Amino acid sequence: MDEKIKEEAAKDNYRQEPKVGVYVCHCGGNISDIIDVKAVAAALAKYPGVTVAREYAFMCSSNGQDLITEDIKNLGINRTVVAACSPSLHELTFRNVLQRAGVNPYLHEHINIREQASWVHKADHDGATAKAIKLAQAGVEKVKRKDPLNAIRVAAEPRVAVIGGGVAGMRAALSAAGKGLEAVIIEKAPRLGGKLLDLGKMYPSGEEGPAIAGKLEALVRAEKKITVHTGADIDFVGGFVGNFRVNFKNADGTSSQVKAGAIIMATGYQHYKPAQGEFGYGEDANVVTLPEFISLMKNSPAGRLEYSGKEIKSLALLHCVGSRQVEGVHKPQADGKINDYCSRVCCSSALYAANQVKDRYPGVRIYDVYRDIRTYGMQHETYYDKASKDGVLFLRHNETDQPVVTSDRTGHTVKVKDVLTWGEELEVKADLIVLVTGMMPADISLIKSQMKMPTGADRFLQEVHLKLRPVELANSGIFIAGTAQYPMDVPEAMAAAGTAAAKACILLAEPDIPLEPFVAVVDEHKCTGCGLCPAECSYDGALMMAVHNGKKVAVVNPALCKGCGACVAVCPVRAIDVAGWTLDQFDAMVEAIAKE
Amino acid sequence: MKVNPELIDEIKKYGAFDISACFNCGNCTAVCPLSKEDASFPRKLIRAGHVGMEEMVSSAIEPWHCYYCGECSSTCPREAQPGEYMMALRRYLIAKYDITGLSKVFYKTGWLQTWLTAGLFAAVLWLYNSYTGDFGALAGKIEMAFPVYVTIALGGYVLNMYRYAIVKPLGGIKATFKPTPIIETFIHGFTQKNINGCEEPDLVRWISHLLVMSGYTLTLVISNLHLLEPLNRLYGAFSPVSLLVWYAGLAIIVGGGSMSLRRIFKSSESSKFSHPSDWLFVVMMFLIGASMLATQYVNVTQGPASPLLAALYRVNIAIETVWIILVVPFTKWIHIFFRPLAVYFQHVKKEAAAGTAFTLQLGGSK
Repeated sequence: MDEKIKEEAAKDNYRQEPKVGVYVCHCGGNISDIIDVKAVAAALAKYPGVTVAREYAFMCSSNGQDLITEDIKNLGINRTVVAACSPSLHELTFRNVLQRAGVNPYLHEHINIREQASWVHKADHDGATAKAIKLAQAGVEKVKRKDPLNAIRVAAEPRVAVIGGGVAGMRAALSAAGKGLEAVIIEKAPRLGGKLLDLGKMYPSGEEGPAIAGKLEALVRAEKKITVHTGADIDFVGGFVGNFRVNFKNADGTSSQVKAGAIIMATGYQHYKPAQGEFGYGEDANVVTLPEFISLMKNSPAGRLEYSGKEIKSLALLHCVGSRQVEGVHKPQADGKINDYCSRVCCSSALYAANQVKDRYPGVRIYDVYRDIRTYGMQHETYYDKASKDGVLFLRHNETDQPVVTSDRTGHTVKVKDVLTWGEELEVKADLIVLVTGMMPADISLIKSQMKMPTGADRFLQEVHLKLRPVELANSGIFIAGTAQYPMDVPEAMAAAGTAAAKACILLAEPDIPLEPFVAVVDEHKCTGCGLCPAECSYDGALMMAVHNGKKVAVVNPALCKGCGACVAVCPVRAIDVAGWTLDQFDAMVEAIAKE
Repeated sequence: MKVNPELIDEIKKYGAFDISACFNCGNCTAVCPLSKEDASFPRKLIRAGHVGMEEMVSSAIEPWHCYYCGECSSTCPREAQPGEYMMALRRYLIAKYDITGLSKVFYKTGWLQTWLTAGLFAAVLWLYNSYTGDFGALAGKIEMAFPVYVTIALGGYVLNMYRYAIVKPLGGIKATFKPTPIIETFIHGFTQKNINGCEEPDLVRWISHLLVMSGYTLTLVISNLHLLEPLNRLYGAFSPVSLLVWYAGLAIIVGGGSMSLRRIFKSSESSKFSHPSDWLFVVMMFLIGASMLATQYVNVTQGPASPLLAALYRVNIAIETVWIILVVPFTKWIHIFFRPLAVYFQHVKKEAAAGTAFTLQLGGSK
């Protein structure tokens, strides 16, 4: 943007007499079919403080925007109210109009008379019109009391810290570096690659896990903008968007610190470890988990599936071990909660493994004991298809009748109350029992508690909005890549990692980060230093008591404050306000609406 | 119940190669117009096969209720061919009922039965041609031996079917002597009455089957009663015996021909899969009709002394001999008897469940 305009926009319009322009949008009939927009404009034109009120078919169109620009130029309008659609759609559009015309962009108020009036009161035209008038009048009252604000700018470290050097971490670092952003991978294990290093052939390409990890590692090592720390034990993560610090101990005992403007959490998952005795695990040597079986298969000679020297002629796969657990049926985990989520990838993995067994050792009998098969991914249904055509026998139990594994001298037996065989209790003999275990988030409790990262009921990191902001944490500047978020397969983790990297690049594209100015502001003269407010603050470090000019007062860190207003509510002397959303403004709006 | 995965592999040797793809959705049973609550198929039998419920499969009479209209196969979302599975089960059951074990060998080895039939035909024809005595008289004796042989073979089957379907699962001899089941049994035996319950009645198939059945039954009557003595008597074109032969021969040729054409062009679901024994059956049936018709025609036109007639008649009797020895007991020919029996057994099962069946408890059985 032109520097001159910027300066112009930053000048203080507050001292000027408020001259409000009100603009009522038809939204192409969305509003004007229900609401009498002419009546709204006429009512507002007479309202105290309003210089001009207009209505137009599409205020957001360039013609509509020009109307406002012209009024600012010719009539000296210095505050605007646009009564139109939702502010999430076009508030920014009109802020920019003001800014271009030399008025502080925060002296605009966007009133929603579409979602909140015309759409919800289709049957009551007069009522909707009256409501629109009231809302617009309240908007005028608010905008008259607005202060010019300026975006908060935080100087940012031009660097992203990627915590975790598995497939997602490496992919994220590569994507960020590819866009020119410096990336630092901090990996706990002595080498890069994460869980991929233990895997065998992987769907859908059939490539070996370690081979993919090796390819990625080679790219990472060749990239000059990426620094790698392996064997790094993180002991502190702190700071805020633009200025994070990650402290860790190196393998040789020395300490290091990485300063970064953004963090990508690629901390991954851990395999669910069955409890002692769960389906015989830990008590019977021939009960193994799917990851254990995959490495067993890797080491078996061609033509003979072997386990501890003995040939395996039959095996039973038990799905959903540690996933989709049922309250009252399964033992809770250490934190008292059951894993009631679906681990998503295990069905496809198990069937893919079954198909490999059938390909390499066609004589091996396979029994697949499941509750539901969820081969959700693109083409994954073919794994089920192939398995069933190759004679894998599927046995289905319901959620409360879990299969039972018993072992004696004659071998291992799985008892299944099979709903496909009209509830008959079937007994399957198998040389090896494979527990298809799910994913649990890796243990990152230290980082989570230090940064107050939000987690879901399933203990995975939780994004702001699964559809609209899928890789962002509520903590500004922290992004999630891969299975730290929820169980994913490699292609999904790669995609998420690329998205997280793109988000970090956008955030750190300029040397400083602009933040909305809607943060808490403390009036030091009114503040009594009572200390009630910091306890209410949910954002660590955003509001603290400090001594300022010899007086104990509440101090806000604008980079951390989210403008939630919790502190405003507890202040007994009205010393705190959220900029742009002050109590005086709300009082005036309520009065305008309540006035007969 | 212990799962026995060998059973489905065994059944697959009789056909139904795609049945492993079944995921037990039950669409087949839902669309089957003949599946009833007390005789539900095919899903249950498929599952029983998959998990190895051998007793349930070998005592099943549902395969004999099935007309293979193909509704289930064309509805199957997995293309597992449940209709073909029912056919495979029939072959499996015939092999089970057969005390000689030959059916099993023939079904599993595909074309062996056909080659044996061809070989036996050549040998028998050679024997008949080398016979210097009165062939007419010999043919009479041979034809008289047919019913004895068939009765013995069939008796074995029927007893065994009874053993598998009733005695074993119900733990004793059970029967019903009420008139309704017996009448129904006969009706179902001679007309494919139930096929009209199939949603899209396949009229061509039903008529073809009726023609073949009636023509063939007539042929049985003609040969077993030794009504025909072409070498010793001259028949008029419209004599009663000739009329019977014309009808029987033509019915077999037309019905059998239509069935063969459908198999060749696989024009319907029920003709998509052909086991070699199906071919042998249809072709032999066709040859019997054709040779009988030709024999009678030559007798009527050229008289009993014609050398062509002598040759043709030997061919006709040779075909019948081979048919009786190698085809009748070991192909689906015997399903003529199994279907009505299945209808009867169904009644017995129902009455046994209701406790109204005639019961003869065998010593030592449960």
